[in-house]
Amino acid sequence: MGPARRRARIARGLEFFGMTAPALIAILLFVEIPFLMSVTFSFTKWNGLDKAVKFIGLANYRELLMSDPAAGHAMIFTLLFTVLTVVSTNVISLLFAVILDARIRGRNVLRAAFYIPNIISLIIIGYAWRFIFSRGFDSFSALTHMRIFQLSWLGDSRLAFFSVAMVSVWQSIGFYMVIYIAGLQTVPREQLEAAVIDGTGPVDRFFRITLPLIMPSVTVAVFYSLSNALKTFDVIFSLTFGGPGTATTSIALDIYKTAFSDSRFGYGTAKSVVLFLLIFAVTVFQLSAFKRREVES
Amino acid sequence: MKRPRGSLVLSLVMFACAVIYLYPLILVVINSMKSFSEIMTNVVALPSRLSGANFVNAFTLMSYPNLFLNTLLVTFIGTTGVVLLASTAGYKLSRTRSRYSWIMFLLCVAPMMIPFQSFMIALVKVARTLHVTKTIWGLGIIYWGLGVPLSLFMYHGFVKTVPRELDDCAFIDGCRPLRAFFQVIFPLLQPVTVSVIVINAMWMWNDFLLPLLILSGAKKSMTLQLAAYNFFGQYKIEWQNAMAGVLLTITPAIIFYLVLQRHIIKGMVAGAVKG
Repeated sequence: MGPARRRARIARGLEFFGMTAPALIAILLFVEIPFLMSVTFSFTKWNGLDKAVKFIGLANYRELLMSDPAAGHAMIFTLLFTVLTVVSTNVISLLFAVILDARIRGRNVLRAAFYIPNIISLIIIGYAWRFIFSRGFDSFSALTHMRIFQLSWLGDSRLAFFSVAMVSVWQSIGFYMVIYIAGLQTVPREQLEAAVIDGTGPVDRFFRITLPLIMPSVTVAVFYSLSNALKTFDVIFSLTFGGPGTATTSIALDIYKTAFSDSRFGYGTAKSVVLFLLIFAVTVFQLSAFKRREVES
Repeated sequence: MKRPRGSLVLSLVMFACAVIYLYPLILVVINSMKSFSEIMTNVVALPSRLSGANFVNAFTLMSYPNLFLNTLLVTFIGTTGVVLLASTAGYKLSRTRSRYSWIMFLLCVAPMMIPFQSFMIALVKVARTLHVTKTIWGLGIIYWGLGVPLSLFMYHGFVKTVPRELDDCAFIDGCRPLRAFFQVIFPLLQPVTVSVIVINAMWMWNDFLLPLLILSGAKKSMTLQLAAYNFFGQYKIEWQNAMAGVLLTITPAIIFYLVLQRHIIKGMVAGAVKG
């Protein structure tokens, strides 16, 4: 190899690393190294402040599985919350998308309107709804005398579950609606028109033609709603802070409290590793199950 | 274009739905202009007079201009960094076909599968070690690492649709590689850049958990979302000021949305579908 070619090769290599290294360094520093540290710290006892980090093997995981009812409760809450919100979010937003994909008057205004809650931070959404649940519902009940407004929507542990779920669904519908609308726009009109001529009713048309064709959008929307529900934090933080008691404490909030309120960083990282494994397993399973349906259709 | 019958009825029903749907937000707006006693007697009624007093209170109580600038700065530093890092790396990795390039690409996009909550505790430790806590700059820089994977993935996919001949001319002209990239290639990536800006800016502007972890204890450098938390976390909430505070906090995002609506929706869909 001549010196000129070698120089060109070195220059190419430098150029490659010059353009790619900054991105990789940022990711390594702020995501991958912290993640690997989390896995390591999950085998230790560490209060976050001390330099002293003590290796304790699987003790954190054993405690998490055997003797932590709060964590168990957070797990059950998160799973129930996920099932309820994923199903209702996707059904409602798909319904809205189908309606707003039709040629109805003012559909652009309507699409924009339903999207608005999605651009507001969840922390603010939580506070706004706290106002509605307390002061707002007092006024509604004075005006309508309906019992539904007299219930303690944030104070009763069973009702608080539904309040938190309802507010999450309310906030996210716009986002999933937009994903579904984008999917519906790819459905060829001729195919639907042919079905109309064949005398297929609108409901049959939706389940036999439209739904199979928009399965890729369903996969994406369910994937996002699943992973967002499993790591839900902000809206609970501001709406109930996990209460009353620990009734609405999600896994993510439980991790936060363990690490930053109880100063048990080692144990917190063990919980966060479990959260990672949970989300990973659930979403991989969902993607493979849904992708298979996409191929069939 | 003939609309099917019944579409008018459906449209009216949907408008009614939209009003009910947004009613909680309408109530926030109404009550942000009321006095405390008016809120305590009736939330639904319109304010007896239009008054900006609550806004003035919230504005000064939150020290709004300072917060606004902080949040804007975080969003700007974070988004600009993500665009620069992700576009250069996404382009180079997409154009280079080698094993190293492939490994690097995997290392860069794998974090899309790692939820923030599963490494946040250790991230705080890393941030303390690097002395990037309690500063707006530090927070913005941390967002680079969190934002690049998805954005890089989007650039990487889009670059494949840009003909290679174009970079040949750009680089043969003897420009320095970075200059050639920004003068010739980067403008061609504009559709992704818009999506990347929208996704990252909306996220960073509204994010709460990372600022809470990184900025806690720093009084001078807070973001709007963080200040809202302190504002509402008080023992006795003054609802009238709180509602004005809510409105002040969400207005910038709402304006951003109304002005760039099309781009925002397109960007959000692109991010979701490609991600």
